[in-house]
Amino acid sequence: METELKKIGGGFSVSRVWTMAAATVTQLVRMRILVFLVVLSAIVVAAGFMFPVFSAEQQLKMLKYVSFGALQFFSLVLAIVATALLLPKDIEDRTLYTILSKPVPRVEYLLGKFFGVMLLIGGGLLLMDVLLCAVLHLRQSLVLAQELAFLKQGHATAEELAVEAARIEAQGVGWSLQIGVLAVFLKAGVVTALALMISCFASSTLFTVITTFCVCIIGQGQELIREFFFHRTFDAAGEKIASGLFAVLVPDLRLFDVIDQVVAGDEVAGGAALFMTGAGLLYMAGYLVVAHLLFVEKEL
Amino acid sequence: MMEAATETSANRALDAVTVTGLTKVFKSGLTKRAFVAVRDLSLTVKAGEVYGLIGPNGSGKSTTMKVILGLLAPTAGETRIFGRDSREVTSRSEVGFLPENPYFYKHLTGLETLLFYGRLCGLSGARLKERAAEMLALTDLEDAAGRRVGGFSKGMLQRLGLAQALIHEPRLVVLDEPTAGVDPAGSRKIRDLILSFRERGLTVLVTSHLLEQMQEVCDRVGIMAHGVMVKEGRLEDLIAVQNQTELVLENVDEALLGRIRELVAASGDGARVVRTGSPRTTLERLFLESTDESGKGEK
Ligand SMILES: Nc1ncnc2c1ncn2[C@@H]1O[C@H](COP(=O)(O)OP(=O)(O)OP(=O)(O)O)[C@@H](O)[C@H]1O
Ligand SMILES: [Mg+2]
Repeated sequence: METELKKIGGGFSVSRVWTMAAATVTQLVRMRILVFLVVLSAIVVAAGFMFPVFSAEQQLKMLKYVSFGALQFFSLVLAIVATALLLPKDIEDRTLYTILSKPVPRVEYLLGKFFGVMLLIGGGLLLMDVLLCAVLHLRQSLVLAQELAFLKQGHATAEELAVEAARIEAQGVGWSLQIGVLAVFLKAGVVTALALMISCFASSTLFTVITTFCVCIIGQGQELIREFFFHRTFDAAGEKIASGLFAVLVPDLRLFDVIDQVVAGDEVAGGAALFMTGAGLLYMAGYLVVAHLLFVEKEL
Repeated sequence: MMEAATETSANRALDAVTVTGLTKVFKSGLTKRAFVAVRDLSLTVKAGEVYGLIGPNGSGKSTTMKVILGLLAPTAGETRIFGRDSREVTSRSEVGFLPENPYFYKHLTGLETLLFYGRLCGLSGARLKERAAEMLALTDLEDAAGRRVGGFSKGMLQRLGLAQALIHEPRLVVLDEPTAGVDPAGSRKIRDLILSFRERGLTVLVTSHLLEQMQEVCDRVGIMAHGVMVKEGRLEDLIAVQNQTELVLENVDEALLGRIRELVAASGDGARVVRTGSPRTTLERLFLESTDESGKGEK
């Protein structure tokens, strides 16, 4: 009776989405993507032992700067290239015929691909995050010990010592760092959803990669474009509408600039992190909805 | 339980596939030039029968199947599976489809591929493993179960496609050229498999260019040419030519043939020898004749 109902009901199935996502992860992992992850992780570790000529604080900042660069590189390259590859390949190989001739709603197929890429990026980021925390912690305690020993020789007061210690600790492992990683993840999510949407109407992998890449660059410089271009061309009301439209079409990737704050060791406000998360999820949802609308109509 | 049983029997009475007034137009290229692949096609596949769709290359057989499976949207008309519109996802819950030249995720092994498709059909646990093993045995792919699909030969892919189509025990099987690229022994096995489906009451919609085999397995056939159905009906009725009699002789020499011709000519009454030569498969003859006629008609 139950199976009968299930057959008739159809509907959304989380387990089917999971099956698709797991297959996507397997596919990408077996394409030797992990080699890429290992190389970037090596950069994080190496960064821990570079820059000895800088001051204590600078050393830690550089370590974070290089590491977050590696994290972003890993997640954005996967978000653009891996995503751009998935859909056109399934269409080209006609794998889509066998999948969609099963009782699989097209939305589940798309979500499966999306979550598959996100799972891989999330897993990779988590690994690199753990590694970064470990290296940073190690480096921080090392630098701190050196610095304090140096200051003590210079007969610094206990107060001066405490200030220096606090300055160095602010650059160390903390919640802000995790918010930074979250920002990298969300940014990758927005770009993944965007690439998926573009691949729903693009006819080739190359087109998707190039277009997504361009949109990302524009998204990074959105504020500039708004200020210089719209401000000169439109009046106040027109400028508002144009900027609004622009922010919908192109993701405002400056949302995720907290990464720079984290690298600089500045405290990130809880509210700002929440806003970033909300806006990021909204962008993802929006792109996925459009992707679905495009994909449902697609002739295979 | 009772309700479920009566429900199923009610479904069984329905036609497995109905296509009514199907037209499919492709717009391709930048110029958006329209190409009519299928034109006003109607056909019905009754539950439990084996229906063969035949026709020359590019006549619209695969296109028709893709519309039936909801992979392409009809430009006009509609298609139904067991009474449900092909555009509904649920219409696909009891169909197994083998597309032409099937291909799969090349990074998965044969077994993983079957498990993947089984899960998409809602199978899980021990049942899924059991079905996957059965399907591998059925299609002689047991040795290849652990090998990546990327290294499969064409015939192996075809057999994996068949296994994938059957994994959830569908009531309707749609096969687009199941024997393409399969060796003679394998192709014979697929024929036997289709015959066994018929015995078990499954419905089969199949296309193939091997007309000899089609003649052996099909209850009814439809012949398509240029996107139009040119002949449809029970195979026996179609290939019987009422006013002709076939005389198949062995070891005759020219002299004897000549005497037979004279005899026929002498008998008058409009009797005549239509043709002499080695006998051909009758479906093949029919195929050539009907698709030829329509070709002339088009021009
Ligand atoms: N996606 C498409 N875009 C444009 N034209 C198409 C498309 N798919 C099929 N066609 C055209 O529709 C016609 C019918 O194709 P179809 O694949 O249905 O033929 P078929 O009967 O299966 O032939 P074959 O025996 O070679 O498999 C062909 O002329 C083909 O070029
Ligand atoms: Mg075909």
